[in-house]
Amino acid sequence: MISKLDVIVVGSGHAGVEAAWAAARLGCSVGLCTLSRETVAHMPCNPAVGGTAKGHMVREIDALGGLMGRAIDATGIQFKLLNRSRGPAVWSPRAQADKPRYGKWVRAVLEGEPNIHWIIGRAGRILLDAGRVSGLALEDGSVYRCRALVVTTGTFLNGLVHVGQEQRPAGRADEPPSRDLAESIKALGMRWGRLKTGTPPRLAKGSIDFEDGVKRGVFHVEHGDADPVPFSFTATGAPANQIACHLLHTTERVHELVRGSIDQSPLFNGQIAGIGPRYCPSLEDKVMRFPDRERHQLFLEPEGLDVEEIYVNGFSMSLPAETQRQLVHALPGLESARMIRPGYAVEYDFVQPTELKSSLETHRVGGLYFAGQINGTSGYEEAAGQGLLAGINASQAVNGRNSVVLGRNQAYLGIMVDDLVTKGCLEPYRMFTSRAEYRLLLRTDNADLRLTRIGRDIGLVDDSRWERFEQRRIRLETNLDRLRRGWVRLEDGARVPAAQALRRPELTLEGLIASGDVVMETAESDRLLDLTSAQTTVKYEGYLLRQEQAVARAQGAERRTIPQQFPFERVPGLSREMIQRFSEARPETLGQAQRIPGVTPAAVAVVGAYLDRL
Amino acid sequence: MFSTSDTIVAIATPAGRGGLGVVRLSGPDALRIACALVGRDTPFTPRYATFATIGGGDQVVVTAFASPQSYTGEDVAEVSAHGSPVVLAEILRRAVGAGSRLAEPGEFTLRAFLNGKLDLIQAEAVADLIEAVTPLQARAAFDQLEGTLTRAIGAIERDLFDVMARLEASLDFPDEGYHFLGAQEARASIGMAIERIDALLARAARGRLVREGAQVAIVGAPNVGKSSLFNTLLNANRAIVTAVPGTTRDVLTERADIGGLALLLIDTAGIRETSDEVEREGVHRARETVGVADLVLQVLDRSRPLGPEDRDLLGLTVARRRLVVWNKSDLADNRGAGAPEGIEISVRTGAGVGALVEAVSDALGSTEARRDAPTVTNVRHTILLGRARESLSHAASALDEGVSEEFPLVDLQDASHALQEITGRRTPDDLLRHIFEKFCIGK
Repeated sequence: MISKLDVIVVGSGHAGVEAAWAAARLGCSVGLCTLSRETVAHMPCNPAVGGTAKGHMVREIDALGGLMGRAIDATGIQFKLLNRSRGPAVWSPRAQADKPRYGKWVRAVLEGEPNIHWIIGRAGRILLDAGRVSGLALEDGSVYRCRALVVTTGTFLNGLVHVGQEQRPAGRADEPPSRDLAESIKALGMRWGRLKTGTPPRLAKGSIDFEDGVKRGVFHVEHGDADPVPFSFTATGAPANQIACHLLHTTERVHELVRGSIDQSPLFNGQIAGIGPRYCPSLEDKVMRFPDRERHQLFLEPEGLDVEEIYVNGFSMSLPAETQRQLVHALPGLESARMIRPGYAVEYDFVQPTELKSSLETHRVGGLYFAGQINGTSGYEEAAGQGLLAGINASQAVNGRNSVVLGRNQAYLGIMVDDLVTKGCLEPYRMFTSRAEYRLLLRTDNADLRLTRIGRDIGLVDDSRWERFEQRRIRLETNLDRLRRGWVRLEDGARVPAAQALRRPELTLEGLIASGDVVMETAESDRLLDLTSAQTTVKYEGYLLRQEQAVARAQGAERRTIPQQFPFERVPGLSREMIQRFSEARPETLGQAQRIPGVTPAAVAVVGAYLDRL
Repeated sequence: MFSTSDTIVAIATPAGRGGLGVVRLSGPDALRIACALVGRDTPFTPRYATFATIGGGDQVVVTAFASPQSYTGEDVAEVSAHGSPVVLAEILRRAVGAGSRLAEPGEFTLRAFLNGKLDLIQAEAVADLIEAVTPLQARAAFDQLEGTLTRAIGAIERDLFDVMARLEASLDFPDEGYHFLGAQEARASIGMAIERIDALLARAARGRLVREGAQVAIVGAPNVGKSSLFNTLLNANRAIVTAVPGTTRDVLTERADIGGLALLLIDTAGIRETSDEVEREGVHRARETVGVADLVLQVLDRSRPLGPEDRDLLGLTVARRRLVVWNKSDLADNRGAGAPEGIEISVRTGAGVGALVEAVSDALGSTEARRDAPTVTNVRHTILLGRARESLSHAASALDEGVSEEFPLVDLQDASHALQEITGRRTPDDLLRHIFEKFCIGK
C-alpha cells in the first residue's frame, strides 16, 4: 500500500464509487476507504434506479463518463420509460435492479481499475495541515496521507435505527454507525442538521403465492416495456425484462391497525426528531395525514433474480416488528407471507450543504469534499451525481485545473448542486423535473449533447464513447439539415416544408419517414435517440427557442462572479439579516445570490452595484 | 433582482397635488424615450425646457439632463404635464411601451446613491426598498386592506398555482395512481382565469380602480382620540366616536383635502392586546397599515403618562415617516419625562389643528415617494395583468393542440410570474409543498 495518495474517498455507496472511479480515471491515485468490499454500491432501500428526473440524472452521469447508467443496464431486470405518452423532455427511464449483481458489477469495475487502492477499515479522523486536508486516520490508528478527501458516508454519521420503541445506533440495518468521523467533522465548525428516512419490511418470495393473488384479483401484474430502452449512451442493444412486479393496495383494516398502534410509532410519539422526506411518506404518515384516502398502492418488487427478498414498495414504517408482521398479514394476498426482516426508520446527521462551494469542496477546509446523503439529499441517483462531480473536482484540484460547475441550464446535476449550496436543506432533497426552470432543454435524449464534450475535455470520456458521440452528433446535424431544407407532401396533396409539417401536432417523424418523403440517418443501436433528437429539435423549436432566450437573459447574473472573500458586511444599505444570509450561503455568482431564500431583489441589486466598483 | 442599469420611469410629484405633475425617466435610454414620447427626431438640448405635445395633444414641457449632471447621475428626462392622474398614467404607459420599466419605489434615490450623488443617510427610501421582499409586497399588503384589485389578482394567482401544481404533479408522479388534472379541466380553469383578468382590465380601463392621493394613517392606543381627529380632519362624522375603548374595530378610509393635498385618510383600531376576535383583526390591520402608509399620525394622550401600548406603537412607527400628535392639550399636561416631541393639539377646542395640517402637507410634499401612488399601482397592475393574459392564452392554445403538460407549463409559469410580482413570489419548493399537502404521494 502506498502511503501518499492523491484522493481518498470515504464510503463506497453510490456517491463513493462514482467519486473513486472518476478520480482514478482522471489519473489520480485513489484510496477507497470502505468497511467491506461486500457492500460496494449497496442498495439499502428500493431495488430500482431512475424515475422522473432521477432517470435524467443517470443519463447525465453516463454522458459525463460515470458508472451508474452502465451498471444498471448490465444488471437491471425490468425496464420502463416513464411518461412515454408525454413530450420527450419528461421521458424518464426507470429500472428494477438486481441488487447483488449491481453491487458486484460496480465492484468488479473498480477492482479492475489500477489507480484504486482499497482501504478496508473504519474512517476516524480528518487530518489537517494549515487549514487544508492532509490525510485520513482510521479508527484503528493507521494513517493515510492525501491531497484531497471526498467524504460520502450516507446515513452513517451518528446513525440511529428505530423499530418501534427499540433503538440502536446503526448506519444501515445491521452496520455500526460512524461516531469518530462525525466528531472529527463537527470539530471543523460546520453547521449540522438531523434527518430521517425509512425502509419497508422484506418478505420471503417463496412464501407468496403470486399466481393466486392475481387470480383473486388482489395483485395486478406490472410488466416492463415491450421495447425496453437502456440508460447508457454506450449500450449496444436493448436490455431484457426478466421479472414482473405486482401491484396491490392497502385496506381499511390495515389503516385501522396502524391507527390502533400509532402510539408505538417513533415517528408519532416524539422518539424521532429528524425530518423525513414528504415525497416518501411512511405508512403511518399516509394513514394519519390522509384519512380520506381509502387505499394506498403498494408494489411487490424482487430484489434480484436469485434473491429471496421481496421489497414492499410503499410500505415503509418504523412500528414494532410484531405489528409489522400483523400489517403484512392483513394485506390481501399476503395472509401467509413470511417477513424476513422488519422495516425501520433511520436518523442521521447531515452537513448543511451551504457549507459547500459549487465544486462540492467545503468553504472552510481546502481539499475536503462532501457528496451524497451527508449533504442532505436522498436517492441513489442524487448521491451518484454528487459523487461523480466531487470526484471530478477533487482530481481537477489535484491536477491544478479548474472545477467543473454545471449550470442550471446545462444539467439536473447542476440544478441539484446549485439548490444545495444556495438554499441548504430543511428536509431530504430529491430531484423533480419541476425544479428545472429550463425543463424542455434538459432531456434524456440530449444529455450527451449537453455534457459529453465536458466529460471529454476533462478526460473522463474514453475514445470509444467519444467516437460514437461524434458520429451521432454529425448524424443529427445531417438530419436537421434535411428536415429544414426538405419538402413533404401531405395527405391532402399539398407540398409543404418538412419542418413545417413536423410542427403539426398530429404528424410525427416516423410518419414522414414512412411516407417516403423524408430519409433520416440513423445508427442501428441509436435509432430512437437519432429520431427523438431530430424530431424534438424541429417540432418544438418555438418552445426551445423561448427557453434558450430565458437562459440568455439570466446569463448576465450567472456570469457575474463574486470573489470568495467578498465583504458583504461592507456593502452599504444591507441590513444585518441580509448580510447574514449572504455570508452563510457565500454565493459565487450574482445568480446564486438571488436564489438565496429571504434575500430581496434590491439587496442583490446593491451587491451587484458594489461588485462593479471593486 | 432587478437591473440597476436599464431605464426606469416614475411619476416624480406627490400624488394628488394639483397643478403640475412630473414624469421622470432615468437611464441610458431616457433621452431617446423622451423623444419617442413626443414624436421628436432631434435630441433635446440638455438643461433647456422644450414645449411639446403627447399623443392626443396633451401639452408638456420636457427637460433633459445629461449624465452625470443629473439627480441620479444618469441621463434623465423630466416631462412636466397637467397634474391629472389620468394624463400622468397615460404618459407612464407610453414610456413603458417605448422601452422603459416602471421604477420601484425609491429606485431613483437608489441610483443616485449608487452613482455617488447621495449618501445613504440622505437616502431613507433606499432602506425600504432593500427590505422589501418583493418590491410590490408593501403595496399588496395595503391593497388587501381595502379588498380591491390585489385581492382579486391574488385569487386568480392562487387558482392558477393550484392548476400548475397539478400539472407538475402529473409529470413528476406518473405512476402514483392519481388523476391530478386532465387537459380539459386545465383548459377550463385557464379560460376562467382569462375571463377574470379581462374583467379586471375592463374595470381598470374605465378608471374605476384609480384612487387618488397619499395614504395617511391615524394610529394610537385606544381612546387617545384617533377617531375624533379623523372626523375633525374630515369635517364629517364618518367614524363612530364613543368613550368605550375599542370602538373602531376596522379600518375606515375617507378622501380628504388637507392643505391643498388630496389624500386618503385612514382611521385604525386602537392597538392593544384583546381577546375579541373581530377587534383583534382590526388591530392586525392597523399594524399592517402602519407598514404601508405614506405618513403615520401617531396620536398620544397628553393628559396621561405613556402606557406600554403607546411605547410599543412608537417602536413600530419609528422607522416610518410619522408625526407624533399630542392630543388633549386642553387638559393638564401629565406626560412625564422622556416623552417624544410632537405637535400639541386639542381636537375638542380645535387648538393646534392648523399647525398639524401644515405639518402633514410639508411631510408629504417633499422627497421621492416610498411606495407607489395608486395611479402607478394601477398602471403597474394593468401591465402585469396584460402580460399574464397573453401567456395564459398561449397556454390555452397549447392545450387545445393537445400537447402534454410541460408545454403549457412554460406559459403558465410566465403568467404566474407576472401575477406573483403583485402577490409575492413563490418558489419550486412552495409548489412541491402544495402537491404533498394535497396528495399522498410516494412509495
